[in-house]
Amino acid sequence: MAILVHRRPDWTGIVLAVVLTLVIVFPLLVVGTWAFTNVWRYPSVIPQEFGLKFWYQTLSRADVWSSITTSLTLATTVTLISAAICLPAAYAFARLEFPGRDLLFFSFLAGHAFPKFGLLVAIAGIFLQLNLIGTFWGVVLIQLVGTLLFMIWIPVAAFQSVDRRMEEAARDVGAGPFRVFWSITLPQAGPTIAAAILLSFVGTFYETEGAWLIGAPQVRTLPVLMISFINNQPVIQFGAVLSVLLWVPSFVALLFARRVVNSGSFARGFGG
Amino acid sequence: MTTLDPGLLVPVPAERRRPIGLLLVAIPVFLVGWLIIWPIISAVITTLWAQTPEGVEFSTATYQFFFSDSYSLSNLSVTLWTTGVCAILLLIICLPIALYLRFSDSKVASYVQGLAIFPMFVPSIILSFAFIRVLGPNGTVDLLANAVGLPKIRSPYLTPWGPVIGLVWDNIPLTVLILLSGLGNVSNQSIEAARDVGARKLQVLWYIILPRISNSILVAISFAVLGIFSSFTLPYVLGPAAPEMMGPFMQRTFRELFDPRNAITQAVVSFGFCIVFGLFYVRSVARNRAP
Repeated sequence: MAILVHRRPDWTGIVLAVVLTLVIVFPLLVVGTWAFTNVWRYPSVIPQEFGLKFWYQTLSRADVWSSITTSLTLATTVTLISAAICLPAAYAFARLEFPGRDLLFFSFLAGHAFPKFGLLVAIAGIFLQLNLIGTFWGVVLIQLVGTLLFMIWIPVAAFQSVDRRMEEAARDVGAGPFRVFWSITLPQAGPTIAAAILLSFVGTFYETEGAWLIGAPQVRTLPVLMISFINNQPVIQFGAVLSVLLWVPSFVALLFARRVVNSGSFARGFGG
Repeated sequence: MTTLDPGLLVPVPAERRRPIGLLLVAIPVFLVGWLIIWPIISAVITTLWAQTPEGVEFSTATYQFFFSDSYSLSNLSVTLWTTGVCAILLLIICLPIALYLRFSDSKVASYVQGLAIFPMFVPSIILSFAFIRVLGPNGTVDLLANAVGLPKIRSPYLTPWGPVIGLVWDNIPLTVLILLSGLGNVSNQSIEAARDVGARKLQVLWYIILPRISNSILVAISFAVLGIFSSFTLPYVLGPAAPEMMGPFMQRTFRELFDPRNAITQAVVSFGFCIVFGLFYVRSVARNRAP
């Protein structure tokens, strides 16, 4: 309603900005401060000693490195498989006509009609019979399922927004179908597809529930290690340093995907 | 779709394209069938038909146990309580933010929007850690209270309010985005017209805005309910050990008590409680999106 009064100072906005800063930014600043603190004893309001001591200690822990490796391997594997199977499917949904196309397209929504952890437990019941519990590939499969919807729906929209007349013009002057795809379709659909791939990598990297239910304790990803740090680690700084490390992929996503998230089509994808 | 402009392009005969299209979508569709549809059907079957020495027999024993066991029931009720409180809080918090963002174009508004969306880029496990450091025992709030001579707070950590605060924080971005997208359908003219005939702000909100975004509100609530009802990480880390929410309860039954049959029963019970929200949500998403 400020549109009607926007000459005056935007008090509503200022109040919201202050409250949200306190509630959303402040807790994260506290964690950031803890990560660079050598000594911070109660009840001092600011740390007694700043420093990188706990960065060295955290980064010399074997469990930290093995979970970083596990997480990166898992997220890369899942994203590559997901891209390999979903992008051709997205192209087919966007461009080809085949029986059952609409029904199959909407079938990817099925997972979203159920509470997620319940579904994971049901899947775990199947994996139990297949001996996939506690295995790398069990976690890959369960995380792969989580990426399907995004990796198909976002690229479908990207392929559909490509200017068909340019493709036809290229074909008219003699370009083969592969050449048309490579020179016309891909450059136009590319940025959105890249955002989808990035989002699915980051989403997989942070996927905690499937990894915990199916993988733990044999497959220990970074978020799973973080849970055990929160529950059992008396040294606060280890958790703080790990939090900062853990946030890096999200930060990258924030830099590149913010425009996609802020666009109206993203919210509409969630039914808004 | 392939024959948009038949004058320029010789369309590939439909019969030749069919198998290719189906072939390209085969693997993802197979995964949906194998790892989403089949587990759900299988969950219902394995919990209702028990293996007995005489063969397979219909039995509702695990469900009878769930609904007569006081511990299971208190877990269910704490889950319903948390979900309800979170949904109400999310609306109370996010509706004003979304309204403000829709009708303001100041510089502060883009900052507020950035902040409201920011939690989407903070994984819930980092949020849990930040929560404990700020609101936990001897956390930052205690430090600040102590510095100005106030007593320590009663920490929400490890109480049912812990998961509530965490889950609300986590769900703010998508709730705001969904509401904002709904508010996009409210035209400025309709609001100006109402104000011209003397409607006050609250009347505009109640009679003009809310009826037009009621569907978006329902979508936002459904999405939040589906996510919160079976949430795992935040209740597991921030919530009390007993009673626990359905997510940690299922996980413990499955992995620590090695009792998949009862864990899957709990999952089916969760499906039952969420099915209305799930179907509504999926219908809304599908309506917004045609291939």
